[in-house]
Amino acid sequence: MNDAVVRAEVVQKSYDGLPVLRGVTFEVDRGEVKVIIGPSGSGKSTLLRCLALLEPVDAGAVYLDGVKLTGVREKELAPHRSEVGMVFQRFNLFQNMTALDNVMCGLVEVRRLKRREARERALEFLRRVGVADKANQYPDELSGGQQQRVAIARALVMRPKAMLFDEPTSALDVELVREVLDVMEGLARDGMTMVVVSHELRFAHHVASSILMMDEGKIIEEAPPERFFSAPTHERTRRFLALVE
Amino acid sequence: MLATFDTHVFWEALSSSPYWKGALLALELTIASLAAACVIGFFLALGRGSRNRAMRGVVFLYSWLFRATPTLLQLIFIWYALPQLWPTFASSWFKPFLAAFIALSLNEAAYMAEIIRAGLLAVDPGQEVAGRALGMSRARILRRIVVPQAVRIVIPPTGNEFITLLKLTSLASVISLHELLTASQERATASFRYPEAYSAALVYYLGIVSILMVLQAQLERRFTWSSVGRRRLRVGTSGIPTFSHDAR
Repeated sequence: MNDAVVRAEVVQKSYDGLPVLRGVTFEVDRGEVKVIIGPSGSGKSTLLRCLALLEPVDAGAVYLDGVKLTGVREKELAPHRSEVGMVFQRFNLFQNMTALDNVMCGLVEVRRLKRREARERALEFLRRVGVADKANQYPDELSGGQQQRVAIARALVMRPKAMLFDEPTSALDVELVREVLDVMEGLARDGMTMVVVSHELRFAHHVASSILMMDEGKIIEEAPPERFFSAPTHERTRRFLALVE
Repeated sequence: MLATFDTHVFWEALSSSPYWKGALLALELTIASLAAACVIGFFLALGRGSRNRAMRGVVFLYSWLFRATPTLLQLIFIWYALPQLWPTFASSWFKPFLAAFIALSLNEAAYMAEIIRAGLLAVDPGQEVAGRALGMSRARILRRIVVPQAVRIVIPPTGNEFITLLKLTSLASVISLHELLTASQERATASFRYPEAYSAALVYYLGIVSILMVLQAQLERRFTWSSVGRRRLRVGTSGIPTFSHDAR
């Protein structure tokens, strides 16, 4: 079989009878960076949540490293979630923990590491995203950019097979976007497999292996950045790009 | 004019051992009942949010039963009626304190359940999602992330409950528990010095509540997550229902 780290196969999902994903097939290979764009309500975030195993799918299946994880019971499924790192639009750092404790949390609670070992590893990852000096601060005391970098460290420290980013910079002040994108570009350079929902088109152009356009619960176009931007085949994509730029 | 207030009699009452012991008993009963009510209330709160319909039904019945009937009646029921219904309780180990403890904690749990449920719901759902994404089980997310954050939200209304409960302990005077009100009633009727005897009891209640208010402020600071420890969380507590206790 192929080298897909994360794969969704004809996934359907609806909320209260309202279809959000209408048969989405998607995969990302090792070391690839896929950027998903599309209007709000097109199903981008839902697709990401399904890939992160946070949402059960109505039909179709999600695979992680070739293992089908759809239909697996909650108890066995939970540990698999740590194999996929998820970064949220609103950071979602644990408010009752310091930056360091946030990053240690998964190691201690899920991987059952000793606290001392977890602390060392967590510090190493905080250093990597450039916020080691904020280790003992609480989320409330950090800027949005710092919070998001801590959130990235919290996901990375679990050594995930892929990282999923759900509009990681859209809740940030303009001056803080760069520091988060820099960290993400660094990850991409290091060969991390990534799926990024974002409208940072310059980042997409720069880093993406391919860009996908979603609309009304479907992927309507997928192409390498050059072609995607210069010659989008779909009328919907063209209109959307015109609006974003 | 206050022609008949004898300060000497008042101080004597204030420093007498029945008052001390009565106040201590009231405080012990309050703390024990509130602690038990928090535990029972926590599980009731989880039950109310459960996906299981029968579970939700049980919780509804419980809170209906204890909130729709007078606390005094519940107290009397447990002290006088329970031993006849259930002979295990018709023996010497079943003391007024235990009866009051059972009645007040069961009663208070119905109110704490509402407060705790509101507290759990007030925690940003993104916190739980982030925990799940890390691979944590629901129980661990609850223990490490949701409950600690709910505690901060739940402290102020729980302080209210403490005050209510402290005052409710005076109801136990009807089942011959020697708490503060009983002590002052006995002194009043024995000496015919009603103003002094009851004023001394007022002072005790006021004193206990004042100490509580200081402790509560400290507790709130402890559950405010900032390395400076002084700033307030931006979590609003206005969504928490507070109850009027007039009818209890």
